[in-house]
Amino acid sequence: MKPTRIISKTESLCPICLKKVSAQLYSQETNTYLGKDCPEHGFFKTVIWRSNLPIDKWWKKRDRAPIKNPATVEIKGCPLDCGLCSNHRQYTCTALIEVTQSCNLRCSFCFADSHNSKESNIALDTIELMYRSLMRASGSCNIQLSGGEPTLRDDLPEIIKMGVDLGFPFIQVNTNGIRIGEDEGFVKALKLAGLNSVFLQFDGTNEAVYQSLRGRGLLDIKIKAIENCKKHDIGVTLVPTLVPEINMDEIGNIIDFALSHTPCVRGVHFQPVSYFGRVPFMPKDKNRVTLPELMTAIEEQTMGRIRKESLVPPGCENPLCSFHGSYLYEGGNKITEITKASGCCGDKGAEEGSTKAKGYVARKWSIAKAAPVPEGSRNEEVKQWDDILERIARHSFSISAMAFQDVWNIDLERARDCCIHVVSPEGRLIPFCIYNLTDHRGQGLYRK
Amino acid sequence: MSKGEDKNHQWICDKCKVQLKLKKVKVKYLEGNFEVELMKCPSCNIVLILEDLARGKMLEVEKGLEDK
Repeated sequence: MKPTRIISKTESLCPICLKKVSAQLYSQETNTYLGKDCPEHGFFKTVIWRSNLPIDKWWKKRDRAPIKNPATVEIKGCPLDCGLCSNHRQYTCTALIEVTQSCNLRCSFCFADSHNSKESNIALDTIELMYRSLMRASGSCNIQLSGGEPTLRDDLPEIIKMGVDLGFPFIQVNTNGIRIGEDEGFVKALKLAGLNSVFLQFDGTNEAVYQSLRGRGLLDIKIKAIENCKKHDIGVTLVPTLVPEINMDEIGNIIDFALSHTPCVRGVHFQPVSYFGRVPFMPKDKNRVTLPELMTAIEEQTMGRIRKESLVPPGCENPLCSFHGSYLYEGGNKITEITKASGCCGDKGAEEGSTKAKGYVARKWSIAKAAPVPEGSRNEEVKQWDDILERIARHSFSISAMAFQDVWNIDLERARDCCIHVVSPEGRLIPFCIYNLTDHRGQGLYRK
Repeated sequence: MSKGEDKNHQWICDKCKVQLKLKKVKVKYLEGNFEVELMKCPSCNIVLILEDLARGKMLEVEKGLEDK
């Protein structure tokens, strides 16, 4: 029998009955698993880390940030009292507002289980209530308008402007890019309304990937979407969903594609596949991609131009949820690593981590231009530093990833550190993975 | 370093007693390399960075590179 090393004790959910069960993170050889035992449905084990780098070498411990103004109190226990409740430990960095459940694709993987329906838009006054509840609870955090496919709404510019007018500093639209590519007038209206960034679903550089994951070829329209964003000065982040045996070999191609479309494309944000919402099958460990495997693949597929050592844990959310790296790219083959070696926040508290992460996302994923300074008003000494600042702003590029949790690998200790919150139509804030979590039959805890 | 008398702020290297000259200097922070002109001693190569610059534009560049 392989020697087992217990990493931590936590709680999870039974994938069958969704009851809370005790769980452990434990390592065997180079893998770390989440194991849990339901008295009724038995033992479940899911890999969460495959690497020669031990999980607890990556895992930085730091103070958490208990919510100062909880909207709900813990009665039934995590994760059934989300609002956020008094036991949550991180503020909102990015809040998702799902403006529609309707979609013009039917992807094999979809956390929202969206479909083609014209009757699933959220009313504008409800969206205003959601914005206002969010502002009261979390202040001026970053906004991601999501769905469904948000660009199906003709009044999306109005929704963006509403967010801007209410004081949110960074607004991003999460999209498959079809309308962004087909309707330049709409893109112009989004920009005029105050859109900062497009979070563009982008799974690969060949049509076979799109056929497999999205049900149709989409590469040409994605390229057109990027061109339209470039014309209207909207930053684009490419967002691949990574699925074993489908597009793991596309990681390097996606990064090269992104680099060739800088500075409009500001970075790549990888999302290893999670098994919630609509999924084509129940997962086995071979159907999962863990963060260290992804870091290794990035290094290998970029021929070492992006080293895995330049990818560091987050200072905001739980260290097992993400990594990021910052670079300067000014053409050719040379990529300069500028990720600070200590990571984003070192040993500083989670509240500061959240504040920094909000600024990071807004800067890295917006089209960046240095503020214009009249030529006559600055001397040569100042100008040369301004030129450097402009280079950093225009040529900075980020690689990041987020590993979501599903019912098979959910670690409730980790979920309490979440900084990506979905705003429910009632104005409650619910950690992204908890909001989207579904049992083995697709029944959700929160999503109806 | 000691500050010279004339109104153009001539700077003299206190160690070498020679006048600093405006020269191209490579500055490095994290892995970012940039070339800027700074006052430098032609003899010992020591570079003068005034407080305004250190607390101003240079700090802005540092923050831009550090980011998250």
